[in-house]
Amino acid sequence: MNLALYSAKTGLDAQNTQMAIIANNLANANTTGFKAQRAAFQDLVYQNVRQVGAQSTQNTEYSTGLTLGTGVRIVATESNYAQGSSTNTSGPLDLAITGQGFFQITMPDGSLAYTRDGSFTLDNQGNVVTASGYPVQPAITVPVGTQSVTVGADGTVTAVSATNKSTSIGQIQLANFINDQGLQNIGNNLVVESVASGSPQTGTPGLNGLGTVQQGSLESSNVNTVTELVNMIECQRAYEMNSKAITASDQMLEYLTTNLS
Amino acid sequence: MDRGLYVAMTGAKQIMLAQAVNNHNIANLNTVGFRADSVSLYSQPIYGPGFPTRVNSVAGDSGTDFSSGVMQSTGRPLDVAVNGKGYIAVQGTDGKEAYTRAGDLRITADGNVTTASGLPVLTESGPLNVPPSTTVTVGSDGTVSVLPLGLTPLGVSPTDRIKLVNPPEKDLQKGNDGLLRLKSGGTADVDPNVTLTSGMLESSNVNAAQSLLNMIQLQRLYELQVKSMNSTDQNEQTAQQLMSNAS
Repeated sequence: MNLALYSAKTGLDAQNTQMAIIANNLANANTTGFKAQRAAFQDLVYQNVRQVGAQSTQNTEYSTGLTLGTGVRIVATESNYAQGSSTNTSGPLDLAITGQGFFQITMPDGSLAYTRDGSFTLDNQGNVVTASGYPVQPAITVPVGTQSVTVGADGTVTAVSATNKSTSIGQIQLANFINDQGLQNIGNNLVVESVASGSPQTGTPGLNGLGTVQQGSLESSNVNTVTELVNMIECQRAYEMNSKAITASDQMLEYLTTNLS
Repeated sequence: MDRGLYVAMTGAKQIMLAQAVNNHNIANLNTVGFRADSVSLYSQPIYGPGFPTRVNSVAGDSGTDFSSGVMQSTGRPLDVAVNGKGYIAVQGTDGKEAYTRAGDLRITADGNVTTASGLPVLTESGPLNVPPSTTVTVGSDGTVSVLPLGLTPLGVSPTDRIKLVNPPEKDLQKGNDGLLRLKSGGTADVDPNVTLTSGMLESSNVNAAQSLLNMIQLQRLYELQVKSMNSTDQNEQTAQQLMSNAS
């Protein structure tokens, strides 16, 4: 195996993955509550061909060694949990979290998932559900005949009936994680807890470091399209250079086989 | 056995190794905090019976390029870049202290601060750990301040300080895991003059244009070696023909 070829090949692989991540970010530039991801690159292990400082004779030692790097890999994708900008929608069940925390969602299998996407609607029973139809945890049911629903900054949900009587119908709780980078993305704007994220600490919005809930707004995607486009250019050029390196190494070998036959 | 053939063969082999180092640099064009490796070919006369007329070329590390990479703004509070000279101390997988310029830090579920590859970041007294908190801020001297959960901004308190070192470059050596270590095997002292910038990352210091030029140059050198192997071969063929005609 030719190391020169394979080093450059790992470069192509990594740049290709990086481009997939950039493309996913750009594709989600308008997804509510989406958090941009980025790739973390790391150099691969080095091969020690000749150890520096080894004895070259009994009385002398090599002043330089020879270590060959073997390329690059992507070790992780990191999500950027910076706050996205709030867009005003005036929808009564459009909720944005200002600050840290996630809405808790009950999945069809009964497990919990978490989201920053607060574009909730009602199902045919009056339950508050996500756009995919998964109910919010703790469950909130809006009674029949309700004229308007108000959600306070602390997550208190109040319904006003036809007779102008307001009743508290529930409380939205937020969950927070010590390492939100460790949450696993499962699609549908949802993340789930992992060993790396730590267990969720739930609480009332606005307390214990949790953000507050803003009714009538949605948190837009925090993808910075300009940054992504610049990253894309950089990634594309790096890809081209790695491909050039493969061509050059290939030509060297080709020259060898055509001239020494 | 024709000795000239072997001199050219060694040259070609060593140039291919140098090309591998160059390709490794190109592969790491986008690796945060990566320091380019350089390789040089030096001559090694072959001593033996008769005069040392033949000189083999041998590839050897000529060290690591310690110049700074370009600073990229990311806005993430846990991304830190070292200004000018200096390194962040981390714990290598062997448990020993090592140094890196890659400052894309993260917090694990246990509150340990690690690099993107999961190596614990060190303070003067061991791995850096932060309590559950709303915000984590890294100051320019490496001081980590946290706002613990449930406290108002008045409750911000410094927890510890990231160990920043600046040993002389000649004492540093890149290990097989890509981390820098002291050649002597010891640990470097804290240097209070090393500063960090939060919200920035330092890109790889590989000069793409330079690497491409090196690549072309190495390719042509390789072809020269092959050409001279080819000529040696032709010499032998001619000699063989002459001899067979003579007989």
